[in-house]
Amino acid sequence: MRKMIALTMLLALLTATVGPALAETTLEKIARTETLTIGTRTGSPPFAYVNSKNEWVGFSIDLVEQLVLPAISQKVGKTIKLEKKESTPPTRIPLLSSGAVDLIAGTMTDTRARRDSVDFSITFFVTGAQFLVKKGSPIKGIKNIDGKRIAAQQGSTNAKIIREKAPKAQLREFPDQPAAFQALIQGQVDAYTNDGIQLAGLKMKAPNPAQWEIVGDFFSYEPYGMAMRKNESDFRNVVNNGLMDGIESGKFFEIYDKWFGPKGELPYPMSAGVRQFMIYQVVPK
Amino acid sequence: MNYTFDWSVLWKGQSGEWLWLGLLTTLELSALAWLLAVALGIVSGALRTVPWKPLRMLATAYVEFFRNVPLLVWMFFWYFGVPPFLPLGVQDWLFGHGLEFWAGVSALGVYSGARFSEVLRSGIQSIPRTQFEASVASGLTTFQAYRHVILPVALRLIIPPATNESLNLLKNSSVALTISVAELTFQTRQIETYTAKAIEALTAGTVIYLVLCVSIASVMSWVERRTAIPGLIGGGDRRGRRGARG
Repeated sequence: MRKMIALTMLLALLTATVGPALAETTLEKIARTETLTIGTRTGSPPFAYVNSKNEWVGFSIDLVEQLVLPAISQKVGKTIKLEKKESTPPTRIPLLSSGAVDLIAGTMTDTRARRDSVDFSITFFVTGAQFLVKKGSPIKGIKNIDGKRIAAQQGSTNAKIIREKAPKAQLREFPDQPAAFQALIQGQVDAYTNDGIQLAGLKMKAPNPAQWEIVGDFFSYEPYGMAMRKNESDFRNVVNNGLMDGIESGKFFEIYDKWFGPKGELPYPMSAGVRQFMIYQVVPK
Repeated sequence: MNYTFDWSVLWKGQSGEWLWLGLLTTLELSALAWLLAVALGIVSGALRTVPWKPLRMLATAYVEFFRNVPLLVWMFFWYFGVPPFLPLGVQDWLFGHGLEFWAGVSALGVYSGARFSEVLRSGIQSIPRTQFEASVASGLTTFQAYRHVILPVALRLIIPPATNESLNLLKNSSVALTISVAELTFQTRQIETYTAKAIEALTAGTVIYLVLCVSIASVMSWVERRTAIPGLIGGGDRRGRRGARG
């Protein structure tokens, strides 16, 4: 027993000493390593995914490469390279806190609870949760899912909302999108809920897109932001300035069109309201 | 580190209830899988040593096939791979009645059974061959020799490595979260979803696993002492070591 206590204390001591070692700010770390490490996704088209040419690309990755990275390079006065790491909803905040990645740029919804643990950039995309079902399914929206088996991604905001708004639905949570979609294909679940735009991406990439249908009004509001370690306002300013410059110069909208325009990966025109919202997020120089 | 710890997330809101439910699911899943694993392990472990080649080959095939494929793959196999081969009515019934849990039990039980089998085989092989021969010479059939002589001795000899495998089984049960079984690790992630406090939630999970495993290990060490065969493992020098442990 005495040994156990000693061991526990040793463990506690080890964990405690990890802290001070990371006392370098994110910008200092980036300047020292000349690398910005982002946590992003591999299976969330068109935000971040591995395409058919085996390249890791997407809207969120382009925003970092073309808007955020130049702003950081300018700030630290060095050319910074980009490194990408896979981060899933359950791992992204720990990856950030531990210093393994410096910025989460994928499909992360900015929420007030998350703001207790991390800081967010300005919003770069706006969507809401819907359902993906087999064509002809009786499910038409969140009102008629009682008793139905609904798949969601573990650690996502959608699962949380289903649990609150439709407690009678049988929720099945999977660690990633491919597993959840497989369960939907085979009938283990009746519907898969995620942010509408991600469902559209999934449907587009499916072997037989016409077989699937996205149904229901948005039952949540999901503003995507880039997350970073808390209380690093210098770094956050650089990230935000990069995004704001892009919105101001129109570059942001060009990148948007590349992915979501009529000829983009996934046609999803930006509504006038969203465009206005993006522009209003930009504060004067 | 720019991280503010807030341990209160573990008892505020529904966190306590979730951890409790997760713990129950983990225990249920592990207990059922353990029973399956032990049954499969005893049968196939014994078969690997019988003096009849086809049975030995069958048992070897089971062991090598199941222990050499990652557990994660077995989870997907039982959850995604098996149902399409069942009649539609059975599929629907299963989908509505906790398929993920039973797929998890099967995956974990069959996989761990192959590992238990090896443990038992090593136990049987550590018994001098002459004991089996003496049993047969005294008029027992092969089955009776295993049932009354070989297995009772072997099962006592393998308690330490079997404890090890049982603890592995308990910890491996967390892989079931990949097929949406709401066990303990799943619930710690759930707390993270609601509170965005991953480190606190994972720590709670870690402590619970640690307490579970340490308790099982001490119960098993008690069983080991109770069933020790004088002259064999732990029979003689056990007392001396216990004194030194303090």
